[in-house]
Amino acid sequence: MSDRQFIIPIGPQHPALKEPESFYFTVDGETVIDVEPRIGYNHRGIEKAMEVRTYIQNLYITERVCGICSNAHQTAYTGSVEEVAGIEIPERAKYIRVFVQELERLHSHLLWLGVAAHEIGFDTLFYYVWRDREIVMDLLEEISGNRCNYAIPTIGGVRRDLNKDNFPRWNKLVDTIFERTEYYIKVASTEQTILDRAIGVGYIGKSDMIKLSGAGPNARCSGVPCDIRKLNPYLVYDQLDFEHIVVDNGDVLGQVLVRALEVLESCKILKQVMKDIPEGEINTKFSPLNKISAGEAAYLVEAARGELIHYTISDGKNMPFRHKIRAPTMANLLSLVERLKGGYIADIPIVLAGIDPCFSCTDRMVFYDEGKDKKWSWTEDQLRKYRREWFEK
Amino acid sequence: MNPLITAIQVLIFPGLSFILSYTLFAEWLSRKTVARLQNRIGPMHTGWKGILQPLADFIKLLVKEDITPAAAQAIIFNFAPILIFAIPLASTFLIPIQSITNLWGYEPVAAFEGDLIIVLFLMSVNVLAVFLAGWSSGNLFGAVGATRVALMMLAYEIPLGLVAISPAIVARSLSIVKIVDWEVASAQSFLANPTLPGVMLGVVMFIGFVIYTICLLAELEMRPFDMSEAETEIVHGWQVEYSGVKLALLNSGQKVKMVLAAGLLTSIYLGGPTGPILPPIVWFILKTSFCVMILSNLSALFARFRIDQLVKGAWKYLVPLAVLQVMAVVALSGVI
Repeated sequence: MSDRQFIIPIGPQHPALKEPESFYFTVDGETVIDVEPRIGYNHRGIEKAMEVRTYIQNLYITERVCGICSNAHQTAYTGSVEEVAGIEIPERAKYIRVFVQELERLHSHLLWLGVAAHEIGFDTLFYYVWRDREIVMDLLEEISGNRCNYAIPTIGGVRRDLNKDNFPRWNKLVDTIFERTEYYIKVASTEQTILDRAIGVGYIGKSDMIKLSGAGPNARCSGVPCDIRKLNPYLVYDQLDFEHIVVDNGDVLGQVLVRALEVLESCKILKQVMKDIPEGEINTKFSPLNKISAGEAAYLVEAARGELIHYTISDGKNMPFRHKIRAPTMANLLSLVERLKGGYIADIPIVLAGIDPCFSCTDRMVFYDEGKDKKWSWTEDQLRKYRREWFEK
Repeated sequence: MNPLITAIQVLIFPGLSFILSYTLFAEWLSRKTVARLQNRIGPMHTGWKGILQPLADFIKLLVKEDITPAAAQAIIFNFAPILIFAIPLASTFLIPIQSITNLWGYEPVAAFEGDLIIVLFLMSVNVLAVFLAGWSSGNLFGAVGATRVALMMLAYEIPLGLVAISPAIVARSLSIVKIVDWEVASAQSFLANPTLPGVMLGVVMFIGFVIYTICLLAELEMRPFDMSEAETEIVHGWQVEYSGVKLALLNSGQKVKMVLAAGLLTSIYLGGPTGPILPPIVWFILKTSFCVMILSNLSALFARFRIDQLVKGAWKYLVPLAVLQVMAVVALSGVI
């Protein structure tokens, strides 16, 4: 490291980061040379906690992995468990899951648009977008009773039904969001001060993105088609008509466009669901005491931030033997580092926020000895022993 | 001069008391304008439509804990807020508002040949005080904010000075009052007898007004140029370590600077506190409120620039335009 270069630590507490995470930026003047992310400030041991709870109890844990894609986590979890248990859920339940999932995508993408506008100092757009997000939040509250954790999917179906009488009113609300988003796309792609801060900022090409295995809108803005809803349709996505949004800008503008266009597609999906939803049961019975057969299954869901994988192994009890969650931000961290390199310090917040990071989903723990280049993990007993010794000291 | 009248002028009207209360009003007006543009309602609960909110914020900050960080250079750190508050306040004494002996007069508290230069100089000193405030705070973000303030000054100082001087060139005086006198006289003669050079001068002066507004936005660190205190990048930049009384002084200093900027804009481009029928004080309030609303409107309209974009844009567009404007003014002043 030459003497012109120095290290700026950003995080764990910083206004650009909505969650605790630490980044060490090696900078030369105003240019970023290297980035070293350090995760693990928000680790809650969720996968371990799931191994000692029943499948029904785990519903509530998976929902709280993330505040914003709570429904995606629940959909993936219930999907993987139903696959192991061999439960076929009613058709109407599938549609309701899709409906809530798309509402959640709307709310997440609109939230992101607002945050991105705030990061580049365009608070007016931020207030406008968040005002429209309230429409989605009110809709979700009307359906589930909650603005945040909706608790809609359950093993064997869904917990709440949609009322057909509300569909005309909801259709109008969805139309409002559609129109407003079209307007925001126009603003974002013509307003010069936004373009100055967005074009070419945090660029990453298609081949690099494939190499670094990004996921979700972060990869689709670099021209990598990776929408799980199209590549590996789950629920009823193969019966719905929507575009696979891919743009090849590769920069912050691409991320804005991908998300804004996906909002439009989600609006279309919502309207189709309201038109096509069949009548019938919404739930099959599954008791907390039910044991499920031994086996393993992975379930892929396109969460708002990208490909979300839940992998469950059952050994025939009423609790999972092992449940593994791979959240999309984990996959996007490598490409984030690549995006930040060579940029300006002033662009760090927007590029960081650009991948729509969710660090609480991402956090892992592993012990690593830099000197010996050795890594290991602890079992529960070792952790208990460590805790005892720590508090007795 | 009667010492009693001078004392009233300095302390009550149009001096300290009036300027400070008008500052609170201007802050409220600015906040309301921005809020309405952003689809919010702004302050609502303190006084009529929240008109006392700026005062409430000021009082709240006064009772907060006042911290001087161990890493800061205490003397400069504590002294800088006083400078930042006092310099713009002192500069407003040079702005023509209203004479207290004559209802139709607008003599400022202090006026002398060359006070325009003094105002520009004081505004530059103010930037220096801001730089010292950030630099002495012993915080990395404070230091970055301070260097950004200095860099921004490199960008806007030249065009700001140029377009501030161009009305002085036609008025053939560096005194703000005489510029206002000239503007009133030339506006009256133009209305009585419109001429082509007069129209051209008006257009050129409008360009000057636009450049001056942009430079003042940068000087006031308002929205598209607030990279020195960008909260998402450098956590309020040079203000990051300030709290309590010192932060209250900093904030009101910034707002007094906004009133000063609006007053300057009014005086050298909008004909000062003059107009038909109403006395100067009413016209002063109307015109400066108009300027405050323009500044707030612009700050709600754009995304923040990067510091390199500001410096590049200023030297690529603003400086040549300002030079051209001054040249056009010089050429036209020969004709008129």
